Amino acid sequence: MKYGFFPGCTLESAAEELMISTKKVASALGIELIELEGWTCCGASHIQDVDDFLGVAVNARNIALGEKFDAPILTVCNTCTLMLRTAKDRLDHDENLKDKVNEGLQQANLEYRGTSEVTHLLWALIRDYGLENLRKKVKRPLTGLKVANFYGCHIVRPPKIMGFENHMNPQSMEMVAEVLGAESVEFDQRLACCGFHAVFPAEKEVMGMTRINCLSPKAAGADCLVTPCPLCQMQLDMYQPDAQKGCDENITMPILHLPQLIGLALGFEPEELAINRHIMDAIPTLKKTLTFA
Amino acid sequence: MRKITFTIKRFDGNKDWLQRYDLPYENGKTLLWALTKIREEQDPTLNFTSACRHAICGSCAIRVNGNSFLTCKTALDEILDTFKTDDLKCEPLGNFDVVRDLVIDWKPKLEKMKVVKPWIIPKESGSPTTGFKQSEQEFQKIASPTDCILCGICASECTQLAMNQEGYLEPFILNRAYRFAVDSRDGAPEEHIRPVLENDLWKCVHCMQCVSQCPKDINLSAEVAYLRQETMKMGETQNLGARHAYAFHDDVKNKGRLNEMTLPMKTEGVVKTAMKRVPFALRMISKGKINPLHMPKEVEGIAGVRKIYEYAKGVDQP
Amino acid sequence: MLQYDIVIVGAGGAGMMAALNASKEEDLKVAVISKIYPTRSHTGAAQGGINAAMKNRDSTDSTEKHFRDTVKGSDFLADQDAVEFFTSNMPDIIKELDYFGVPFSRDENGNVAQRPFGGASSPRTCYSADKTGHVILHALYEQCLKQDVVFLDEWFLLSLAVENGKLEGLVAMDMKTGDIHPIQAKAVVLATGGFGRIYWSRTTNAINMTGDGTAACFEVGIPLKDPEFVQFHPTGLASTGVLLSEACRGEGGYLLNKDGERFMQRYAPEKMELGPRDLVSRSIETEIKEGRGFGEEMGSYVLMDLRHLGEKKIMERLPQVRELAMEFEGVDLIKEPVPIRPSCHYMMGGIHVTDFKTCSTPIEGIHAAGECSSVSIHGANRLGGNSVADVVLFGKYAGLGARESAMKRTFGTTTKMEVEVEKWKSQFATMRKKNTGNNIFEIRNKMAETMWYNVGIFRTENEMAEALQVIDQLLEEYKDTYIGDASVRYNMAFINYVEVGNLLKLAKAVVIGALNRKESRGSHSRGDYPERNDQKFLKHTLIYMENDQFRLEYLPVRITKYQPEERKY
Repeated sequence: MKYGFFPGCTLESAAEELMISTKKVASALGIELIELEGWTCCGASHIQDVDDFLGVAVNARNIALGEKFDAPILTVCNTCTLMLRTAKDRLDHDENLKDKVNEGLQQANLEYRGTSEVTHLLWALIRDYGLENLRKKVKRPLTGLKVANFYGCHIVRPPKIMGFENHMNPQSMEMVAEVLGAESVEFDQRLACCGFHAVFPAEKEVMGMTRINCLSPKAAGADCLVTPCPLCQMQLDMYQPDAQKGCDENITMPILHLPQLIGLALGFEPEELAINRHIMDAIPTLKKTLTFA
Repeated sequence: MRKITFTIKRFDGNKDWLQRYDLPYENGKTLLWALTKIREEQDPTLNFTSACRHAICGSCAIRVNGNSFLTCKTALDEILDTFKTDDLKCEPLGNFDVVRDLVIDWKPKLEKMKVVKPWIIPKESGSPTTGFKQSEQEFQKIASPTDCILCGICASECTQLAMNQEGYLEPFILNRAYRFAVDSRDGAPEEHIRPVLENDLWKCVHCMQCVSQCPKDINLSAEVAYLRQETMKMGETQNLGARHAYAFHDDVKNKGRLNEMTLPMKTEGVVKTAMKRVPFALRMISKGKINPLHMPKEVEGIAGVRKIYEYAKGVDQP
Repeated sequence: MLQYDIVIVGAGGAGMMAALNASKEEDLKVAVISKIYPTRSHTGAAQGGINAAMKNRDSTDSTEKHFRDTVKGSDFLADQDAVEFFTSNMPDIIKELDYFGVPFSRDENGNVAQRPFGGASSPRTCYSADKTGHVILHALYEQCLKQDVVFLDEWFLLSLAVENGKLEGLVAMDMKTGDIHPIQAKAVVLATGGFGRIYWSRTTNAINMTGDGTAACFEVGIPLKDPEFVQFHPTGLASTGVLLSEACRGEGGYLLNKDGERFMQRYAPEKMELGPRDLVSRSIETEIKEGRGFGEEMGSYVLMDLRHLGEKKIMERLPQVRELAMEFEGVDLIKEPVPIRPSCHYMMGGIHVTDFKTCSTPIEGIHAAGECSSVSIHGANRLGGNSVADVVLFGKYAGLGARESAMKRTFGTTTKMEVEVEKWKSQFATMRKKNTGNNIFEIRNKMAETMWYNVGIFRTENEMAEALQVIDQLLEEYKDTYIGDASVRYNMAFINYVEVGNLLKLAKAVVIGALNRKESRGSHSRGDYPERNDQKFLKHTLIYMENDQFRLEYLPVRITKYQPEERKY
């Protein structure tokens, strides 16, 4: 199995540990990730606020880089997935836009053809890799670990663009958790927004959201929260101390990125997956139910 | 016989409670059918609103299992299949005051809507006795946003609104502003847009709930992007939101990738960042999460990226 | 006591047009009361369009042709001076609506687009895709917000107060609090819409189309004009009665029977599917009766086929129709024909308007516009695209007329209002406590069933006589019913109870009008009197209610230009 890999900026800078864990897990599963050469930031839901056409063009370029391989493009970031898929959807449904964009790409010696799908690791595991194959690779079943699956917005919404599963009641995370041997807890904020994209202009509101997003899985008895999105991971982890301020209740909730949870089940040690780099230390909680070397 | 359980949040003006009703399953029915059947056969005190029963009057939206629906057009089978359960929890729409049971109070929202001047400010080229000329393409711009039926679903599911009832505007209000701002007959788009900016436009968290739940498929998130673009054209480029967006825009042009070290400075300014973000940065550095010395290199093909930027400048935006 | 110069009841197209025109100068205090929020009004359900001879698509069209088509469509029962006034003013109204920001579909010249419609000799129906009523309703609401019109939303009209033939005001309930208020007024405009819900589920009407304003006028002695003329829309969805716009036929849809035949050939060889509604509805029912339909009994239907229009045209011009067919009948009409059957759609009759220029009624100060009223421009059968037109045009003139009335009149006594308030307060108190009696929903359903089977598309003496007995019986049963909700706050059970009372009275008037009109004309089709009889019945029915007794009178039709002739399509 081979994918054109689109890491996204977060994995490259602020959350390098997620890059480490993603690559380890992919390699252990026998999934070949070929990083797209010269990929740029997807715009992270911001460029279209400055220039709508540019937002599409930049991602048309990213997809065109991927189309050079005869393979789908894979990300481990919800927002990258959404941005790439939105551009693709618009280009594939609007000949006029596609022509205009290609006129621009030509100047960079590229062409958008629409031949490569854009997928996310979570979907690829279910649709391409197969959960039964994943089950066979599990070396350390996560038995007894209670996880809160926090989907993050952009892997399910808007359904017209994402469309992998019903946006009101997705099950992919629960399916993966089950295969890994973990127990999924039910909690209110399962499909909530982490607020990352507005953390600067809406700091107060987003901190409030972070608080609720930590308290809700805590009340449901989760050992940790796991998300398929590095942005949700960052928001809920990095800003947790800030969100704690002004809240009497202890909101502590360890936050893992999906590949890290998978990595644990594949037998990696927390340090190998750079889990020790998170702001909120997840290792003590993990140790309660899992055995490490 | 298969039974569907409706747990309905009741409210009588003073107290609220949950009340359970069982209904024998019937194939091919709507949510509105179920509510009506409960009211007519089990409990005449249950209140909800509906009128046209074909998704044009906007009266009948409620929340079921944490999502909002127009009851008249929502098939019961679809809901049961979505949630894989025969237990449905019905509540009034979120982010509204409740009058009784599932009935919500629209009056404050309609008053609030006035802030964006939700009426056409006619250009001088038209008059009440001649009307206007408008091209088919110009009409197409307002075709979808004028589909809005004021059902309130977008407001019910809006993440920012839930945190910020006073400061933020309901997505349907943003849609009204947009609808007039893009109408070729309107002579003062800024009068619709400026109030939107002044009411926390940049606080939309991009959660995509509004656009996902809108029963009329109005592309509300694209409208938010448009409104933001327009405020910047109006010269409003120095607020946190605009600076943040520009930081991304510029980083991609300069290096191709984001510089997460300088991002806060670009958004908040050097002084504020220094005062506020230092503990945050130290926290990150101490965990090895970020490397302060990491500066992204220019990506392969950056010259091409810059050419695309140049090219985009000359393209007519839709 | 609340006091306004003008109170408008109903906030649909007619009510809001009236409000805009009544309150243009700020010299008068005007308020609109409505039992639902304005944008919920049934004007919004109008899909296909609004007629005006704009000549944008057909330069040979004229207001004169619109006039002639409307009179012919009415089976010559319309008052021709009113129709001429109506058609000649409509083009200006469209321009005004354009200026109000209504998003009309456009033609290649940037003018308001127009399409063909049933019974029209030129393509003159202006439209916005297939949501014309919706966009007009919202634009009018926006204009009202701009003009700061006072809305008392979720206020329900209980009765009008008239003492010694003089209007005092009205009595209404603030539904949110349950408080019953007298409102003193110099002029009132009724704009409460039709009462298709006398057929309950066999109608395209919203569930709240219960004729409250019409019933209130009826109660204070204003007669109902021509109530027997009930329009059945040919293309209701077979299983729910939800309307599929006339634009379907306008854009070229075919009607097919089970032999795959375009049966309209038999009934309107020239116009085919574009025949007027009464004719097309009868044709469908005849096909079903004679065994050429699909399904059985209440589940019978014929098909409407749009596939030949192609996906592009359907998506562009009939997007909502496609959605409705998918959601409510499970049919994608790009790929399959859709099952349809006539469904009660519109009341040609209503509050007797005596002067079309002011929309005044026999009682000074009381005006009426829109479907609740009968001007009469629709006569025995309304043409598609003339109802939204009626609503905005006569809404405007009713507003102006009410202004004139309010200027002329002073606030009068409050004697009757006080009596009415006390009556309703005690009624509300009684009903909140009462726990036994006849089931209100059974009464309602029995009424609807009787009306559908006995006073529906085809009518005969015996069946209608039976219906009259049943309705009388139900009126008796209604006196001893209960609502089962003791709440003061937002008591919809009480509102629905009053609504059913209104429907029963109006249903009875429909039956009486229909029984006594021993001819077939327009929508009124009698098996025992299959011909039109101009000698005896070229006249309007007027029904009065006096102390629960119904009295019948007739009024001559005003004919100016077009002498009755045989109606062929």
